[in-house]
Amino acid sequence: MNKSFLKKGFIASMLTGVLVLGACSSGDGNDEAADGQTVVDIFQFKVEFKDQFEQIVQDFEEENPDIKINVQTVGGGNDYGAALKSSFAAGNEPDIFNVGGPSDVDEYRDYLADLSDTEAASQALEGTLDGVEQQNGEILGLPYNQEGYGYIYNKEIFEQAGVDAESISTYEDLEEAFATIDSQKEELGIDAVIALPAKELWVMGNHLGNTFFASDFDNSIVEAYEADTIPLERSQELKRMLDLQNEYSVQPVLSLDYSQQVEQLFSTGRVAVIQQGNWVYPTIEQMDAEFAENNIGMIPIPVDGLEGHLPVGVPNYWGVNKQSDEEVQEAAKQFLDWMYTSDTGKDFVLNEFKFIPAYDGYDEEQIADPLSKEVYKYSQEGNTIGWVFLGTPNGWQEHVLGAEMQRYLSGDASWDEAMESAISQWESARK
Amino acid sequence: MKNKSLSFWLFMTPTLVALALVVFVPFVYGFIYSFSDWNGLHATEFLGLDHYVNLIQSENFLSAIWFTIKFAVVSIVLVNVIGLGLALLVTQHLKVSNLFRTVFFMPNLIGGLILGFIWQFIFVSAFDSAGRLLGWEFLQGWLADPTTGFWGLVILNAWQYSGYIMIIYIAYLEAVPKELIEAADIDGANPFQRFWKVTFPLVAPAFTISMFLTLSNAFKMYDQNLALTGGGPFKSTEMIAMDIYNTAFSENNMAFAQAKAVVFFILVAAVALTQVYYNKKREVDL
Repeated sequence: MNKSFLKKGFIASMLTGVLVLGACSSGDGNDEAADGQTVVDIFQFKVEFKDQFEQIVQDFEEENPDIKINVQTVGGGNDYGAALKSSFAAGNEPDIFNVGGPSDVDEYRDYLADLSDTEAASQALEGTLDGVEQQNGEILGLPYNQEGYGYIYNKEIFEQAGVDAESISTYEDLEEAFATIDSQKEELGIDAVIALPAKELWVMGNHLGNTFFASDFDNSIVEAYEADTIPLERSQELKRMLDLQNEYSVQPVLSLDYSQQVEQLFSTGRVAVIQQGNWVYPTIEQMDAEFAENNIGMIPIPVDGLEGHLPVGVPNYWGVNKQSDEEVQEAAKQFLDWMYTSDTGKDFVLNEFKFIPAYDGYDEEQIADPLSKEVYKYSQEGNTIGWVFLGTPNGWQEHVLGAEMQRYLSGDASWDEAMESAISQWESARK
Repeated sequence: MKNKSLSFWLFMTPTLVALALVVFVPFVYGFIYSFSDWNGLHATEFLGLDHYVNLIQSENFLSAIWFTIKFAVVSIVLVNVIGLGLALLVTQHLKVSNLFRTVFFMPNLIGGLILGFIWQFIFVSAFDSAGRLLGWEFLQGWLADPTTGFWGLVILNAWQYSGYIMIIYIAYLEAVPKELIEAADIDGANPFQRFWKVTFPLVAPAFTISMFLTLSNAFKMYDQNLALTGGGPFKSTEMIAMDIYNTAFSENNMAFAQAKAVVFFILVAAVALTQVYYNKKREVDL
């Protein structure tokens, strides 16, 4: 009797244990909201400014005690997309989340509220809403910031080599500058003129590619999103630029990655130029603050007929979940408005996030770093090339165009073969 | 079947429920989704076998399968040969045996991603410097072309996994009765014959296990692939798992990726079951 009693007791306690475990997992880890508070869940992707973002959220909560905001940050790029998708699929939908461009907007169409009544939307700089504006005038996202890329160069090396970077505007100028620097490699103490990180599909496919195919779509991300095919009219120019970078690059390019390019080679002065954007600034600053502050500049990638134009665009948007409660949506909009249009928010955006603002009414003098300043200048003057690469078929710009460029560099395919294959894959994706 | 009592099922329930929830149910869902236009959020249309037809024509998928098979064959052979070799070495009753065992097993304790990045550094930077110093060209430019990418993955996998497989072989080698070896010795068998005719058949069960493990491990590899080559250059070193992931999350083609995953499952299951069946037949009982 005693034995069977023990046995039963054991089973009972096991089952209780299982039940307790099960019950625990259903409660979520969020801080409990006080009575009457509106809770807004934010799911965002920019790992780089997680701490600063949480700080601004805290400031907002202090000003608005009736709103409680939970922030969740998940790593950049693909991981965010996957994580966002699973949280929607699991029914654990955030109230504010990020969308990258027209294809994300289409996919999450049912979940994106119209934000055209927000103050931030009315302050957004021209062109920064292109990716999220619908034909019926609805605005489904608010731009994070602006980013731009070009050739970032080491001022000291250029000076020593006797090359004036500011006067480089055409392809021929650039070629000559590279050749001049290359001929003095020994004296300048550099490994090569440039570092082409051909391992990074996004550097080639997204950025270099975009510079030369934006004009195919009149710089419009929407036009790119709707196009059945890509003409690649500047295919030869793209080839010429890629060849030039490859010729003067540290070899082998196909195993060279972003961190080698920016940290190991450029920040330490082993190459004179890299093709990158203003987002590399914090990295270079960490490596060598003085160098970052005084010794780097950015010039546009020369495109025939578009000399002096810098590719500037909005990498990401904030979306507000339409399926959330009305009051939560209002609170979400209030937060976004406050972040981008209030004085406290503006100060934070410039000095803590170190963003290039995508909105009017910012004091440009306060823009923190030289690269961002340069990008903002081009953006103000309207000398920009659009970012259309987020309007290509999903993944095309990296996994097709970038990969085909790798194939060409490795000698596995001729340029024409590679580009024909890229075009046909665009067409089959858009069928 | 006395053990299939009420308490048996009571004890089994938690495990069965967990297994069903995280393995069987998603598996069935995934299977169903592969016939639809599911985009990760909702499915609107039943497409029948469309995805499977496209899949046979998908160059990327076919080349990923081919690459994975090549990788699996080479790494299974290498891992098992090295694993058995190491096991033989550390069962020789040398003084440093225990130290060796620990050292050989250690790579297995490091996560795949970290290993991938460590080896990336070795292949790209260390190999390059060594090659430049010694003037050996074949050490330069690793991971920059498909061939070195392939061998890089094989070396990484063999290095990481041989120690683990070694442990399995050690267990079986130590269980081989000394009398049999001695008897063979007295009968005039030379060391090679002793190994080949006596020890080898007795450790055959270890082959079944080891080959099954290395096989499924090679087929399902993802993190080392991601960290070491990222599938590059131009997708030439992309293995099936990575191709499926990219289809799902970069190209946003969830249902198509699901169809690929189903084919992948069938492939792995078929290969693994065949292998176990044949190896089982060759085992010798004491």
